[in-house]
Amino acid sequence: MSASAAQKVDPAHATLWARHYAGHDMIGTRTFGFWLYMLTDAMVYAALFATLGVLSHVVNLAGGPSSSAFINPVYAYGQTITLFLSVLIYGYSMVALKNGNRGGVIGGMFVAMLLGVVYLVISGIDIGNMFAHGIFPQVSGFLSIFFTIIIYHALHIIVGVVWMLVMMIQVAREGFSANVVYRLINLRLFWHFQAVIWVFVFAFVYLQGIVA
Amino acid sequence: MTEHMQDPLNHPEVQLANGRAYLASFIISMLLMTVGLWLAVTHITTPLGTVLMISFLAGVAVIIQGYFILHMDISHAQVWHTVAMVLFLPLFVVTIGLTAWMFHGLYQRTMIMPPAASSMVHMSPMSH
Repeated sequence: MSASAAQKVDPAHATLWARHYAGHDMIGTRTFGFWLYMLTDAMVYAALFATLGVLSHVVNLAGGPSSSAFINPVYAYGQTITLFLSVLIYGYSMVALKNGNRGGVIGGMFVAMLLGVVYLVISGIDIGNMFAHGIFPQVSGFLSIFFTIIIYHALHIIVGVVWMLVMMIQVAREGFSANVVYRLINLRLFWHFQAVIWVFVFAFVYLQGIVA
Repeated sequence: MTEHMQDPLNHPEVQLANGRAYLASFIISMLLMTVGLWLAVTHITTPLGTVLMISFLAGVAVIIQGYFILHMDISHAQVWHTVAMVLFLPLFVVTIGLTAWMFHGLYQRTMIMPPAASSMVHMSPMSH
């Protein structure tokens, strides 16, 4: 099995159908289904970023502040460090899963979850500072989409933190059953996808917001 | 009996975990984002140049993460994940690109610009 994981598909000899029934791959089917679901979530982000592109125009400031007037990139950079570190530690947790190390999986996931909580605290301080300076979503069209994107991303992190808590309990109680393993892989897809989305949020909302 | 009676830890999607790839992805992504932050804060190029360079850095970071941590490759275990991603990308690009393009034209034709708008577009934030 591990040999086929590294083996590449040769496009010249690939077939679109299987000639013989290979047996039902429960884990593979469910992770693929979840991956398709993550791509639909990415379409929601596509809609949000398209809206950001439209509402970043100066006519949508409605007398409110432009992004360069209030964005403090220090918080967003702190979020970048904590989220990328969390993704890295979750990756190490998956290496522990590969080695069948139950304590390693739970320990790695616990650290990744704590870093997710730190991310949320930084995000909360940042948003709280903006609110304290009268920068609310209802001030202008631009601020509406600005807060929608960062809060929508923070909601994903909350879901990930809760999911990790649940998986730590399941690993401790059930060990590495097929059900637990496919859920761990789905959580890996989910959590690692948040890092990719955060690259877009950090670059196009925060960094380009300072420049605009 | 269609279920494989074998250890789920032998599944290829478990076995593809790779600590060194995750560490490489972390270091490269952090470097790229740090350079992006530095470009945005120091204003060393024109605003348009900074926007283009940050977009480029973000694109590189996404490709690095897609390969190293999302395992978008053509191995037997991951090829359909990659195919789904490749089929999805045009939707993502078209949604954002066409919307931005349409509204860019619409604003020019339909919106009454604020008095300072035409000059503000080309003004750097430091100059006021």
